[in-house]
Amino acid sequence: MREELLKTNFLEGTLVKSFTIPLSALTRSATHARYSLLKEKSIQTVFFSTAFFAVIVVTFILLFLVRDGYPVFTQVGILDFLFGPDWAPTASEPLYGIFPLIVGTLLVTLGAMVFAVPLSIGCAIYIAELASPRAKSILKPAIELLAGIPSVVYGFFGLIVLTNFIRVAFDLPTGETWLAASVLLGIMALPTIVSVSEDAISSVPHEFREGSLAIGATRWQTISRVLVPAALSGIAAAIILGIGRAIGETMAVMMVAGNAAIVPDPVWNILSPLRTLTGTLGIEMGEVAVGSDHYHALFGVAIVLLVITLGINLAAVAILRYLNEGRVASAAKKPFFSARTRARILFAAGTLGFSLLLLILTAAPPYLAALVLFGGGGWYMVRPFIPENRVQQIAFVFIGLATLIVLAILIIILQDIVINGLPALSWEFLTTSPLDSGRAGGIFPAIIGTLDLVVGAIAIALPLGVGAAVYLVEYTQEGRMTQVIRTGVDLLNGTPSIVFGLFGFAFIVLYLGIGVSMLAGQITLALMVLPTVIRTTEESLKSIPMALREGSLALGATRWQTISRVVIPPALPGILTGAILSIGRAAGETAPIMFTAVVFSSRFLPDSVLDPVMALPYHLFILATNVPGSSMNKYGTALVLLLLVVSFYAVAIAARTHFQNKMRG
Amino acid sequence: MSGDGIISTTDLNLWYREKHALQSVSMRIPKNKVTALIGPSGCGKSTLLRCFNRLNDLIDHVKITGKITFDDHEIHAPGTDVVLLRKKIGMVFQKPNPFPKSIYENVSYGPRVHGVRDRETLDRIVEESLRHAALWDEVKDRISDSALGLSGGQQQRLCIARTLAVGPEVILMDEPCSALDPIATAKIENLIEKLREEYTVIIVTHNMQQAARVSDYTGFMYLGKLIECGKTVQIFEHPAEELTENYITGRFG
Repeated sequence: MREELLKTNFLEGTLVKSFTIPLSALTRSATHARYSLLKEKSIQTVFFSTAFFAVIVVTFILLFLVRDGYPVFTQVGILDFLFGPDWAPTASEPLYGIFPLIVGTLLVTLGAMVFAVPLSIGCAIYIAELASPRAKSILKPAIELLAGIPSVVYGFFGLIVLTNFIRVAFDLPTGETWLAASVLLGIMALPTIVSVSEDAISSVPHEFREGSLAIGATRWQTISRVLVPAALSGIAAAIILGIGRAIGETMAVMMVAGNAAIVPDPVWNILSPLRTLTGTLGIEMGEVAVGSDHYHALFGVAIVLLVITLGINLAAVAILRYLNEGRVASAAKKPFFSARTRARILFAAGTLGFSLLLLILTAAPPYLAALVLFGGGGWYMVRPFIPENRVQQIAFVFIGLATLIVLAILIIILQDIVINGLPALSWEFLTTSPLDSGRAGGIFPAIIGTLDLVVGAIAIALPLGVGAAVYLVEYTQEGRMTQVIRTGVDLLNGTPSIVFGLFGFAFIVLYLGIGVSMLAGQITLALMVLPTVIRTTEESLKSIPMALREGSLALGATRWQTISRVVIPPALPGILTGAILSIGRAAGETAPIMFTAVVFSSRFLPDSVLDPVMALPYHLFILATNVPGSSMNKYGTALVLLLLVVSFYAVAIAARTHFQNKMRG
Repeated sequence: MSGDGIISTTDLNLWYREKHALQSVSMRIPKNKVTALIGPSGCGKSTLLRCFNRLNDLIDHVKITGKITFDDHEIHAPGTDVVLLRKKIGMVFQKPNPFPKSIYENVSYGPRVHGVRDRETLDRIVEESLRHAALWDEVKDRISDSALGLSGGQQQRLCIARTLAVGPEVILMDEPCSALDPIATAKIENLIEKLREEYTVIIVTHNMQQAARVSDYTGFMYLGKLIECGKTVQIFEHPAEELTENYITGRFG
């Protein structure tokens, strides 16, 4: 048999080896070797540059913010700027104290978390532990859908429905209040907190669950005493990410917070209007004279905002990274906090919660206060005498309730916009220019403008982002350089969108002299979605088994051959999913293009990339806030924007599910 | 060890972070023979194997000292063309790792990355390689189907065909049968038997019977050291070291 095989294969000359490069030495002909080495090196350099780009962008953002912001620190003084009680930049004697703005930002965020955290954790527990696979397959995309709704649509909904509801319910002259802003931001932070906490709870090792159930604990005992404590650090990271999301939000909060630069009186008066750092930038940046004291003060505000969000995001990233490393290093992961610290944190949180409760209760009607106090105290006394399965029932009712509320929120928002928006939709609405400040006519230029912006942004961000991810995953070993790059990407990811807007205005529009134009908007949006592209690409590259790379390299393929032929093709679906998600995000954003690319009304389409454009989110914003009596067109615009963004998300989610199923088999 | 040495190591040390994974290993691999590396888990067999085609380069925090020569060329010397080295020293992995492509594309991948473009030549190489790996008859009618549809044993033979297609001189096999059933294992062992005519084979195995069946030479490793190395018959029948004897007779492992 061996001879036969030899006969069939090798007697007619060594065909198999016929293309062997005929050299016995391990160095090929010098020129050829040098050429191929040069090629590999230059490819690597290209990838390195794309990766380093993120770092450069972060540096430039910081540089330009500081350049335009530092005069306010020298003229007003750091302390007077940070702690000055009055923000009155347009008064005859201008005052630049941002203390009320900082307080406003913190209060709104605090309120948002009080609203969002219990709901999110309940919902996360439901999805992770209680939901049937079918319910899960509905709930998870629903949550993602909630994340996909553009912030200006949230703001629009808040302005029309939520503030109105609050105005009537509390009998106020206006519903634009701290409460409205907090509820709205809470809703927007929900998806982040739910999905990250759900991940954390789901990834608690199965043995914990089985071990607890096996000694006769109820499911609720298992959840409350084993799973949630084990996932506590993940849940903490989720909340921090949610806080970051809430602090950085501009459009929605600006539309419903009332924007009075005051500290609420008394400080727990949730029915008082207030103003945030982001809101201030959004409102005043468009009208400020470039180079004036006011202009510098706004950049000072942006610096403060950036410092706060970066701090929060870096903390979250550090926690998440620690968790991931822990998971790899040992199967039994050691908790992030020691038992004692954890007890302390719980105690501090409990005390804080209790005092908060008391604070709010002093403002609430006496009968409500009494009810809550007696209810809480009563529960505390009675708890030991209630059988465990009854406790479980009660707990599950609350968890189910939280999930239902989250779903109800989604449904209320969608149905309001769909029902009111559908009548506006017509062929004419989609294909004609706006008339009478957008009260009549269509939104054709805005649709085209948004598509232009998005296509340009992704065309810039995709090559850079994919290149950076390839460099990070394929070309480097973890070291100082990758850490610098990763930190740059994280920082970019945590930068509020309004700060991108300011940077785009200061650097691209003014410094580079491109002017308010489609191109400036495309670049700004590209910078904003860059971290998303990098991250999703990294994830999908990492999911390609190492064995494939080794298999290819062991055949003598070069690194670039291996990457381009073996690694990237199967990673492509993941990369494209990331790209589509980025497109959806870019299409819905308002803050970054507000000062860089858009005009409110334009009868004509732009002639070149250097012309300003109309865009759907901005159009909706102006209609909602500045043009009274255009209800139908407002809703129509909101619906079109929602459909556009949601369809991108739906495509991305469907593609991902499809390919995941295909991978499994 | 007698015979023409094709690969030899001198005082080879390897650290993985703090772990001293290979400790002054010196051995010669004879040409056109099958050499087996045996020893308990974690003794450094696979690490040693991966030194020969410098696949350890991919792993972070690895430090190597000492000398490895292939055809009298120091493979860690600066200016060494790693790509060419890996072309000449092929490797078959523990778990079959076909690319998520068709059977044809899997085998033609190697020649293509080395610059063969001509369709006819590629067709010929694919057929020769598959025949040589004793897989041709089983797959010739579905050569364009995905390689992932093959059975484990077929996938492993495909990986061998893929290795043969670039015309290597040495084939490294890292426990090539550990993921396979006995019938598939027997097919691979027969194949190794045939490959010996054309190639130098170095095989890492856990299975001592397999080492005894397929190899001409055997090296026994323990805790990062090469304890003993010689003709397979001698190692199995008259081991010089007590450690080797204990391992072979199953007193530990």
